[in-house]
Amino acid sequence: EGEKGSHRGLLSVLQKLKGTTESVELRIVLLGLDNAGKTTLLKSLASEDINTITPTQGFNIKSVASHGMKLNVWDIGGQRKIRPFWKKYLENTDLLIYVIDSADKKRFEETGLELEELIDEENLKGVPVLIFANKQDLATASPASEIAEGLNLHTYRDRQWQIQACSAVSGEGVQDGMNWICNNIVNKKK
Amino acid sequence: MGCWFSKKSKRKSPEKEPTPKTVEDKANSSNANNIDLCSNTTEDPPKQYSWDKREKVDPKDFMLTGLKDATVGRLPGKLNGQQFVIQDCDNCKIFVLDHSATITIDDCTNCCIVMGPVKGSVFFRDCKDIKCVVACQQFRTRDCQKMEVFLCCATQPIIEASTGMKFGCFQYYYPELAFHFKDAGLSIFNNNWSNVHDFTPVSGETNWSLLPEDTVVLDHVPAPDLESEFKSVRISAEASRSIVPMTKGGRRKESDESCLFVFFSGDYTTANARKLIDEASGKGFVLIQTKEVSMRPEDVSRVFQNDAEGLLEWITNGPVTALELNGDGVVEACKSMASDMFSGTKVFVSDNRNTSSRDVDNFFNFADMQMGL
Repeated sequence: EGEKGSHRGLLSVLQKLKGTTESVELRIVLLGLDNAGKTTLLKSLASEDINTITPTQGFNIKSVASHGMKLNVWDIGGQRKIRPFWKKYLENTDLLIYVIDSADKKRFEETGLELEELIDEENLKGVPVLIFANKQDLATASPASEIAEGLNLHTYRDRQWQIQACSAVSGEGVQDGMNWICNNIVNKKK
Repeated sequence: MGCWFSKKSKRKSPEKEPTPKTVEDKANSSNANNIDLCSNTTEDPPKQYSWDKREKVDPKDFMLTGLKDATVGRLPGKLNGQQFVIQDCDNCKIFVLDHSATITIDDCTNCCIVMGPVKGSVFFRDCKDIKCVVACQQFRTRDCQKMEVFLCCATQPIIEASTGMKFGCFQYYYPELAFHFKDAGLSIFNNNWSNVHDFTPVSGETNWSLLPEDTVVLDHVPAPDLESEFKSVRISAEASRSIVPMTKGGRRKESDESCLFVFFSGDYTTANARKLIDEASGKGFVLIQTKEVSMRPEDVSRVFQNDAEGLLEWITNGPVTALELNGDGVVEACKSMASDMFSGTKVFVSDNRNTSSRDVDNFFNFADMQMGL
């Protein structure tokens, strides 16, 4: 485990034991192919209206309170042309959230390759990853289990990971993913 | 099902992969190295979501795959807000005459496609020689060539690695279309068809352009032939019948004089706005753009400035509907029409042609800001 990560986890545990109200601040990067639903997810986390969302040209950033923590979430545009810029946002990341359109079978291989490249990044060494298998509401959506299999998640030995089925437009499953983040950060193994 | 990774990933797991106990375990499991110090201890039982509990559907019912020389699609009421997928079609005429959640179109060539209102995104990939009529919240293309799109898009349309893309204003009617717009949560007044963002601009070239204003839609996207399953649908592509008002958008304005006309929320807002548009068009004025957007009290003072007082109470009932009309003498004409036709309705009209451009800019800049975060 990254030293920084376990230190932070230990700190949180100590804070909880001491009963302080000082909150943890996390830097979270939200990535995935274009049209995956990243910005919808971001707005859902911030309890905002999701009726009119424009394709992200650069990035969006929001601070969201969750389980007594402050999450600074960076939502980065996912068009093929601008993916080379992803690595510029990765320094000091505490958590990667990777969003997949579960109903876009045509691009499963593409998203698998992009995630694989991210996991190899030096700045993401040891950083936990939460994968949202989004758009579960759609007729052709693959279940999260199939997506997990295709991504070979069980081969990740050097970090915490979780795959969470969700529908960002309705919010269903989103909180469960956020609960995992809370539990994971507080419970990080030394 | 197999692995989608490249061969490179195999080196990460030299030992044999363990088989999961159950599908649910795999779906909701994380790896084992977390010690739980919170009070909710052991791993929760796999949770059931609405998509687990609902009746299973056959994905193929929502897909058109590998068709050639065919007239196909969905009649009103046959899709009912679900996803639709179109792939590997050649020389087809496709009519999706219902509202949907999202539509992807892959590897199609030489097709004419009409898409009823889409709540989410329409995404074309690897397509060529497509002519289409589309209404959606987001419009996206990647690796496409030679497309003509008659578009109603609630946000800024985007293209990537695409060339020969031409855009015009949505222009279509069938009897259920207005209801389908409502079902999809789309406003006929929110149409950014002419301001396209290109993720891969090429210096010295333009990958996209606007179609000539007098383009006849049915010459490009013909009505279904009378022997098809769509013969019963009364389709029209006449400008005057279009559910979405025709807007000039980014095309060059003919006059320097514009007027802002705003209807505040009420029972007949849409009908009133259409009435004004028809009347103004009849007098030779041109509709540039429209917007239906909610305003907060702080927006009112910023947008209407000196005229803000007295308008504050009118923004709480619902969104306002704003129009920009253009032409010599349009401000005086709008003021007359307001008093002749809408004396009992709460409206805002630009007061004089020296300040009307500022009214227009203030309002539509504010409206554009609402689209972003």
